[in-house]
Amino acid sequence: MADEQKPDGPQASPPGGAAKPAPPKPAAAAAGHAAPPKPPAVMAATPWDSELARELKERFGERIRETSTYLGQNFIVCQPDAAVAIVEYLKLEADFDYLVDITAVDWPKRAERFDLVYILYSFARNERIRIKTYINDGDRPQSAVRVHATANWLEREVFDMFGIEFAGHPDLRRILLPEEWDGHPLRKDYGIIQQDQRWVRENLNIESGQ
Amino acid sequence: MNLLKKVFLVDLFQGLWVTFRNQNPKFIYTEQYPAERPKVAERYRGAPRLNVNPENGETLCIACNLCALACPEALIVVTSERNEETRRKELTTFTYDTSRCMFCGLCEDACPVDALELTQDFELATYTREGQIWDRQMLEEGPKPTPYRC
Amino acid sequence: MPDATFLDSTELVLNMGPQHPSTHGVLRVILKLDGEKVLGTECVIGYLHRGVEKIAENRTYAQFNPYVDRMDYVAAVSNGLGYCLAVEKLLNVEAPPRAQAVRVILTELNRIASHLLWLGTHALDIGAITPVFYCFREREEALKIFEKYCGARLTTHAFRIGGLQYETYDGFEQDIRAFCDMFLPKVDEYEELLTNNRIWVGRLKGIGVLTADECKEYGVTGPVLRAAGVKWDLRKAQPYSGYDKYEFDIPTGRNADTYDRYLVRMEEMRQSVRIMRQAVAGLPEGPIMGKVGKVIKPAVGEAYVSIEAPKGELGYYVVSDGSTQPYRVRVRPPSFVNLQSLDRMVSGGLVADVVAIIGTLDIVLGEVDR
Repeated sequence: MADEQKPDGPQASPPGGAAKPAPPKPAAAAAGHAAPPKPPAVMAATPWDSELARELKERFGERIRETSTYLGQNFIVCQPDAAVAIVEYLKLEADFDYLVDITAVDWPKRAERFDLVYILYSFARNERIRIKTYINDGDRPQSAVRVHATANWLEREVFDMFGIEFAGHPDLRRILLPEEWDGHPLRKDYGIIQQDQRWVRENLNIESGQ
Repeated sequence: MNLLKKVFLVDLFQGLWVTFRNQNPKFIYTEQYPAERPKVAERYRGAPRLNVNPENGETLCIACNLCALACPEALIVVTSERNEETRRKELTTFTYDTSRCMFCGLCEDACPVDALELTQDFELATYTREGQIWDRQMLEEGPKPTPYRC
Repeated sequence: MPDATFLDSTELVLNMGPQHPSTHGVLRVILKLDGEKVLGTECVIGYLHRGVEKIAENRTYAQFNPYVDRMDYVAAVSNGLGYCLAVEKLLNVEAPPRAQAVRVILTELNRIASHLLWLGTHALDIGAITPVFYCFREREEALKIFEKYCGARLTTHAFRIGGLQYETYDGFEQDIRAFCDMFLPKVDEYEELLTNNRIWVGRLKGIGVLTADECKEYGVTGPVLRAAGVKWDLRKAQPYSGYDKYEFDIPTGRNADTYDRYLVRMEEMRQSVRIMRQAVAGLPEGPIMGKVGKVIKPAVGEAYVSIEAPKGELGYYVVSDGSTQPYRVRVRPPSFVNLQSLDRMVSGGLVADVVAIIGTLDIVLGEVDR
């Protein structure tokens, strides 16, 4: 996954220099091929180096893929099985005692479909940190309920909206939508006005909700 | 709380005194609607109106479609035809669906010529759903609520 | 004569259904009771779920702005502030100082309006019918100012990404000063009605205790956390929109019960007046809109920005994929997270206290369900 910052695109024309508007694809033009496609834009995150980042890297080694910062907000990307372990370590050793949010983002075209994001805050340090992992459709990440009780409803909502099941959650059911609803609305393949027609017909006795 | 205050219900009487103080008729602020309609602010986001040039009665709208693009609910439909003489677009129909409108004001902000404006009219009730979809004439004249006399 | 065992009740499941005058919206609480004692509860929410986060993925950044007002509909200005700050963070722009000052004034006025509604409805739930009239009378004055400024009383859409749309109207400063002068004695009036009233104290003291550790465990923020003794307010800890320029105190409580939360919120209203007075006195001149292009297209990235809404920490996690529409907007609603702690606070208490505790959490179902 290309998350590291790439240098400016391969077609950057030489700065200043050539007064003529030379086509900025020298190699391709010479070879006579079509212009190479632009790389997909990625977040311009820069590496984050601090005592906390070093401690985490030391403790978790390979399981942390990167520690970066973007716009002054620090985040780390880790392997899915390490996420709850990191949350627990941060709570016990680094004073990050407040779980602000758990959420997910759906990237359907990516190999690992979902971004699972934990946002933590430390009262003592007055610092916020984001922990991101990439998981596949069908993966069952570990539940964070035993570390922070807040995770109960937050994970239920992620399950409801995205269909990500959490292993070890005491009560994994839908929270915002009715229990018998089919489908997970915040996935990108769920239409904006799509509804579970079967549920609407059975429970509301009308043909359609629209 | 000391015993005397407790027995003589001093705290409860204190609260009751506040209530009795407010019984003074000068504190009545009920608005007797519909006999007196409230005066809303100048910037109030109420019924939409298509403004018309007061001198020649022509519409100010230039059919640029910016309001339709700005609307979050996409409920404005603007059609226009090209006038061959002046080589400009002229407005033919303008449809505004007030049933879905959330009166956010984005269309009013987007209009470059101040043709579309949200006025202070707030009595927009109709008896049918179709009546909520306003055409150009309704937009230029505005809603005409029945004045009730009590 | 029926046998005495006939009266042996097993657990009674009582449904405090979605239609209930005291649940502050469509909240269903399933109570398991043993006589009058509450053994456990379960909250069923989702009756007001409108899919705001899904809508965000289908609108442009500026078009989504009116939708956020409708989440916490009693304090719409704060929602707008949080969203605008989050998108401004992604764009890496800051609103100009005049815009920031006006934003602070309107947000604090909004905090007062929200707390007034809280006080009125909380008192009404507990049985004191008079405060609701007085609170709404003051709230009316605050809503009049919103109406004069942006055109709407409740779903204000007051801020835009990058600053403000409207310049302050003529007489804005006089109106704010007049409101502040009028309002402080009224807070004393509410206190006169309630604070030392034995019925009020009896119904609120010692009810719904949620200690500081429990608050942090459940992720509860806002006045509930402050009543537990934690002196933490995002306006001071991570100031935004120029809050570091103003002097104000953070009220805290000691016993973490419902009575302390009431006192904390009353004091917060007074501090809000203090902030408003300072902001109006030092209102800078200048532009009201920052350097934001006509089309808002932030770079690829994500940001999480949170503000101190009247109900707690309201956060927006916005993910951008470089286009004009946000890729994902996650709203971290304070009422949703605070509502989780209801079970902890209510269990073991009496059923009459359930209503008081729901009221003291200050939830708005529009925010819980989005």
